[in-house]
Amino acid sequence: MLGPKEKKSNGLEVNRRTFLKLSALAAGGAGANQIIDSFDAPALPLQNKTQNASEEKWIASSCLNCPARCAIRVRVVNGRAIKITGNPISLVSEGKVCPRAHIGLQVLYDPGRIFSPLRRANREKGKEIDPQWVPISWDEALDEVTRRLKLLREDHQPQKLLLFNGLNTVSSQDLTVRFALAFGTPNLVSGDGLDTEAEKSGNWMTDGHYTHTAFDLDHTNYILAFGSDILESCQPLSRFLRKWGRLRREKPNRTKIVVINPRYSVTAAKSDEWIPINPGTDAALAMAIANVIVSEALYDRTFVDNWTAGFRPYKELALRQYHPRVVSKITGIPPEVIQRIAREFAQTKPAVAMRGKESIAWPDGTYTSSAISCLNALVGSIDIRGGVIYQENPRYKEMPPLFEDDIARRSKIQPSLDFRGTAKFPAANGITNQIPESLLEELPYPIEMAVGFNSNFNMSAPGTERWDKALKKLPYYVHISPFISEMALYADLLLPSTTFLEEWGYDHSPPGSGFAEVKIKQPVVRPRGDARSLVGILFQLSKRLQRGVEQSFAHLGDDSEGFVKFRTATLMPWKEFLNKGVWIGKDYEYRKYGHIFHTPSKKFEFYSGNLKSLLTKARKGTERELDYLPHYKEARFLGEKEKYPLVLLPYQPLMVLENGSQNYPWAQEIFLPMHGVGWGTLIEINSETANALKLKNGQRVWVESSFQKIMARVKCSEGVHPQVVAIPVGQGHYSYGKWQKGMGVNPNDILGVDYDSISGQAAFFNTRVKVYPA
Amino acid sequence: MPRWGMVIDLDKCVGCQACTVACKAENNVPHGSPEEQGLRREIYWNKVIAVTNGKYPRVNTQLIPMPCMHCDHAPCVTVCPAKATYRRKDGIIVQDFRRCIGCKYCMVACPYGARSFNSKEQDEKEYYRHDLAPDRSVWGQWPFPSRTHGVVEKCTFCFHRIDRGMKEGKKIGKEVVPACVEDCPSNARIFGDLDDPDSELSHLLSSREWFRLREELDTKAKVYYLPK
Repeated sequence: MLGPKEKKSNGLEVNRRTFLKLSALAAGGAGANQIIDSFDAPALPLQNKTQNASEEKWIASSCLNCPARCAIRVRVVNGRAIKITGNPISLVSEGKVCPRAHIGLQVLYDPGRIFSPLRRANREKGKEIDPQWVPISWDEALDEVTRRLKLLREDHQPQKLLLFNGLNTVSSQDLTVRFALAFGTPNLVSGDGLDTEAEKSGNWMTDGHYTHTAFDLDHTNYILAFGSDILESCQPLSRFLRKWGRLRREKPNRTKIVVINPRYSVTAAKSDEWIPINPGTDAALAMAIANVIVSEALYDRTFVDNWTAGFRPYKELALRQYHPRVVSKITGIPPEVIQRIAREFAQTKPAVAMRGKESIAWPDGTYTSSAISCLNALVGSIDIRGGVIYQENPRYKEMPPLFEDDIARRSKIQPSLDFRGTAKFPAANGITNQIPESLLEELPYPIEMAVGFNSNFNMSAPGTERWDKALKKLPYYVHISPFISEMALYADLLLPSTTFLEEWGYDHSPPGSGFAEVKIKQPVVRPRGDARSLVGILFQLSKRLQRGVEQSFAHLGDDSEGFVKFRTATLMPWKEFLNKGVWIGKDYEYRKYGHIFHTPSKKFEFYSGNLKSLLTKARKGTERELDYLPHYKEARFLGEKEKYPLVLLPYQPLMVLENGSQNYPWAQEIFLPMHGVGWGTLIEINSETANALKLKNGQRVWVESSFQKIMARVKCSEGVHPQVVAIPVGQGHYSYGKWQKGMGVNPNDILGVDYDSISGQAAFFNTRVKVYPA
Repeated sequence: MPRWGMVIDLDKCVGCQACTVACKAENNVPHGSPEEQGLRREIYWNKVIAVTNGKYPRVNTQLIPMPCMHCDHAPCVTVCPAKATYRRKDGIIVQDFRRCIGCKYCMVACPYGARSFNSKEQDEKEYYRHDLAPDRSVWGQWPFPSRTHGVVEKCTFCFHRIDRGMKEGKKIGKEVVPACVEDCPSNARIFGDLDDPDSELSHLLSSREWFRLREELDTKAKVYYLPK
């Protein structure tokens, strides 16, 4: 029956085509004629007109919607960017990008961007208070900043300047670090402490590398993912997305992927097996897996005997305390499942264990992290094909030595505001979430002035209210960003910076590939309005500040383009770099066991010599032998169990852009793919738990911790552990933007404040809550 | 004459929705708003849907990318009273916005929910939003320089790319593919000629188990899925 109709419509196609051809010919447009030949769509005179005048180019650059910084190509027509796609030259992501890169267009053309410096007229500051912005000129703005900065240096107190570093290009970061050193403040704080510092410190405990882990995914046959959202928020994301395809179907053996997480994430849905675990017990599970591997002698003897130290105490600890039967009671995972995955993990070579935020952003996260790192060593997956590999960094051209004047020299030895390297956080590199307390209690000294570079910590850190109070207290705050983020609301002066599509820069990804790769950033369009790049602003400030700061910024290329040219001169010719957009280092070398371990024994250490030497200095007399071994300690929760029976699990969906804004409709409308909705927040609760609490799907509920409460709709789910409430982050913006303001809630508002004691990593998952109808 | 089809490997798919966003960028498909989502009036030419079965902890969610299936026996073509939707010779089902009378019969008939009605407000009927990429008239060969209010829209397999590629003598399926295929980070989508036994897509269909959605309706969909 369909046959004839089909024919009929085909007949129509011809008729229409002929008709249109005729009409277009009558109009005399050769361009239109061409279009009709190609498409069965109405010809439009407009098309004819603009086609001749259009100027089209593809420009190589890189993304900055998350720290992965993927290489991109941007299609620009008549001065407007209209399409972003991957750069096939890049090997980190093999020319692919995640959806966030495409959304770069909406970051560039965000209707909420600011285009000139703004000065606050209203002296009162607060969440709901209108700052009454008054536009001023760049000269006026920079003069004001310079005057205040100079005062600090004249008073010999440059340490009273606090700098916040958000998500910026590597080039901007290099210069902010230099600016802080030249100016003389030890107080430069990045958002790393809110990310996965415990992953770094766990690695440092065992192999001496204070960095994230890289994996040679091309050859891995088995992945055990502890709380690791490989397909949503792990870095570098696009590499994981690309490699997932390879792991599954582009190599001879299909890789098995097992996900351990209290939440059924997209990663879990796409994996082969999801094992829900009691929150905060990943270390026990890792040790139980070690117990099985050791007791059944499944470990890699060659590697363990030759290239590790401290195996005996580790083995004894695992055998003594972590029998699967015991651990089953802790984790809620049946002993036979633990045994099975342990055997699979040890026998399917090469296998890797990964850890993500959900497993390690806990008070003792470093120990969980090192326990998982030790699993990789047990099965010999260190520096081999398909195992853990060690990231090589690009060799940029060295900057000339810093010019340090007396003022800078004296102040840089001042203690820093976040207590890094003290007994409180011995191994920490930066404790982002400590800043509000330090500011409010003026510890170790009061801060006179702060500058934020694209940061938005009062949204992304646990206990947001403290940030608001601290920002309000700051005597003078300058915020630099392309839009009025939540942190910008507290600024006395707001400077419009460019987005990544309008500026010069160089970038590399966080560890992932092993080999080094550098990507260029070049302006694909002219900066919108009067926005200026961070690097440009720093150069201008340094000139105005004169003396030591100016001299430290001399001979670096003078502006952002010059700076990038200068730093990348060692890599490849400039023209070629502009054209290709990517520089790639030499291939990765495996089995560098002789020199890869940065530990006292120069081997992989189950018993951490690094931590021992640090703790004996920092915490004299209180340390125990157990402190140097990976182990499980019952998690410390915030809130009483009787009053707050559930555990809050904030998670990051893929569609969260990490630049501090979410005002992007393409991301917002498909925000939660597992539930098919966007534009807001869902409170996800196990359907049995919801039944017990008499909550109905879609009902508005309060989620209350002992600190704060938030309200949103409940979603009864089969994919959440019965004791857990899962809430996505990324929503709840209140500052600006038609497409984000007032949508959803921010779970960080109700989180308590806690840290991993070794790395200073902010704990995100140990706040207890109760849920009740609104 | 080729018969264009698509294979989506659900084992490789990562549920990232890059296809959805790449399609919006390529085809100037209007984005929605909270209100439109509430009314189910958002426009997608490609959408990733989630289908969940089972009880905790044995839950299973399938994330399925859904373009138009470009059925050989397309119910939408059968019901369209205005002949606005029709099957091209190469099997692509297209929608003529000028003929469409907005009756939505095709939307009811489509068993895959692949069609959307453009019910943007009158002032937005020539879809142009400065927060988005610009008017597509500057693209050169482009079928949709502006949007039309009050008509039904759907996926075109990016036929503007295919037609141009054919004209330039390029290999369709290798050098030229639809935007969703090009921008899929895990390479889960393969596009090509179903009638060509040497195409990558034919190889996959002969070597792997596959299924089509709602096979029982005998729509002869040209989008094939490969399970895990």
